[in-house]
Amino acid sequence: MLSERVRHNKIIFSGTVGAGKSTAINALSDILPVSTEALATDEIAGMKKTTTVAMDYGVLNLPGGEKVMLYGTPGQERFSFMWEILSNGGIGLILLINNAQPEPLTDLENYLGAFSNFIAGTAVTIGVTHMDRAPAPGLDAYRARLAELGHTPTPAVFRVDARSRDDVAMLVKALLFTLNPGLSDA
Amino acid sequence: MSRPSPVLAPAPTAVFLLHIGSMDNRLIGLSIERHWKQSIRLAQSLDEADVVLVDHDRPGVDEALNQLARHPGIGVVGYAFRPESLQTRFPHHLTVSKPLNLDALPGVLNRAALLGRPLQPVALTNMAIQESSEPRPWVSDEEPDLCGSLDDIPPSPGAPLPAKLFFEPTQYLIGHLAQALDEAIKTGRPHVVSGLPRLIGVPPLPQPVCVTSFRDTQLRPFSMAQLPDATARVVNALTFSGPGSTDTLHTAEDFLWNIAAWAARGRLPAGVDPYRPVRLRAWPNFTRTWAAPHALRIVALWTREWASPVEIARRLEIPQRYVFSAYTSAHFAGLFQPEPLAAISPPAQPANDVAPLIPPQRPSILSRILRKLLNAV
Ligand SMILES: Nc1nc2c(ncn2[C@@H]2O[C@H](COP(=O)(O)OP(=O)(O)OP(=O)(O)O)[C@@H](O)[C@H]2O)c(=O)[nH]1
Ligand SMILES: [Mg+2]
Repeated sequence: MLSERVRHNKIIFSGTVGAGKSTAINALSDILPVSTEALATDEIAGMKKTTTVAMDYGVLNLPGGEKVMLYGTPGQERFSFMWEILSNGGIGLILLINNAQPEPLTDLENYLGAFSNFIAGTAVTIGVTHMDRAPAPGLDAYRARLAELGHTPTPAVFRVDARSRDDVAMLVKALLFTLNPGLSDA
Repeated sequence: MSRPSPVLAPAPTAVFLLHIGSMDNRLIGLSIERHWKQSIRLAQSLDEADVVLVDHDRPGVDEALNQLARHPGIGVVGYAFRPESLQTRFPHHLTVSKPLNLDALPGVLNRAALLGRPLQPVALTNMAIQESSEPRPWVSDEEPDLCGSLDDIPPSPGAPLPAKLFFEPTQYLIGHLAQALDEAIKTGRPHVVSGLPRLIGVPPLPQPVCVTSFRDTQLRPFSMAQLPDATARVVNALTFSGPGSTDTLHTAEDFLWNIAAWAARGRLPAGVDPYRPVRLRAWPNFTRTWAAPHALRIVALWTREWASPVEIARRLEIPQRYVFSAYTSAHFAGLFQPEPLAAISPPAQPANDVAPLIPPQRPSILSRILRKLLNAV
């Protein structure tokens, strides 16, 4: 595991198609524009009008001129070869799962599997999105699946609306405290 | 928005990656290899390039661009967070915005290479920032502490505990609510807390929820006050008809977390041993629950290990009342791990043998990010 100092300043956003990765990065980022989208094609066209076909970038400007990059992975499997490269050296993973998809708990399992090496050395927090439209499965079902998969202590799982900056910021704060509960919040 | 159509060249266009970071280099290299072999190849030097791709946001870009003076025939595609700012400086470059739209990039590179004359800058597409969703129900701007002012109790058991450390849940809304939830789950039937100005319904299925037309601002004072005897009653709601138009629906876990925090105000439910180790089985849903000061740190540590409330406060070097509030909320929200069997008692942390989690001297990158989020949100 890399020490904090040599890690690149970047936080990775990943998750299923339409879960809200681009939206979440937009909500948190200090720069505009941060996302480029193309018309969705093929199998996802029925679901969503646009989709990210490359990585999303966002930036958090810290006092003193330092920057934290927010990187979003493309939702489409076709670009999954990027996931590992993008996350290499990152601080941690924010995983967004679209609860309105048919098998969100399977999606959770697949994404955790894909990022297992990265998570083992860092941390993950999970935002379940679209719960306003699809309330089930609930957070307890996610926690149970996480426990089954051996993720102890159970990572933070929040109900998240990716359009809300407060919700997205809460995911990042939980990620930071998961990495180090000793951080001062005063 | 239309889909850019790639312009097919007879031979693959040779692109030289000029002044591009190592990660972008790899991603673009892999994309060429996997998806665009027919139309694009990587040039090893400027001499063999038809077009260069240059990252305008990296320091030193001007020196890099100076190399192009000796290669006037090469097309240039620049990319940047703010491509519009490049239009005046580099009127002859084709500019696109970050992030690179990889599906569109081959088309852009081919255009820059083939046209062989100055191009007007274009940004591919920009997405406007989304409207934020409705405000969070529980959070207000004035951030009252609501954890009281109790002094710490001694770090190890022995001395008698002050009575004001405890509250009797049955004298508060939280006690009635917990009873309603309990009975609803046991019987599988909705129950209602009545006797207050508005009802709180607790249907147990498919997932336990609390339904009420109480607004947050009204609920808080009712949760904090001791209710006179026989004010609130829990009744089996044969006729409970589900949420009406003025009702708000909360998951029972979130709702009880909040109501309990407001009753607790830094205290513990009567009968709890503040020296007994416990452990959280999960984080509460902090995007919808009220987070008292230090609540996130407390939860982060308490999901990791068995520790008593007093021990958690010591490890985090915070007043115990914040941990007692979190304990009370977690208890009523059902977030503690089930008791281990007596035979395998939890691995107690002997007091004082584990060092407090002291923040590093120089603020780490984690704490600097945290500062930013705490100050901005
Ligand atoms: N109703 C609802 N809409 C949401 C929620 N979260 C995000 N959205 C919307 O969902 C849509 C998809 O969000 P995107 O940010 O494009 O999703 P993405 O994860 O980047 O998708 P890909 O790039 O295609 O993988 C947008 O219109 C968002 O505004 C939510 O919790 N509820
Ligand atoms: Mg996207």
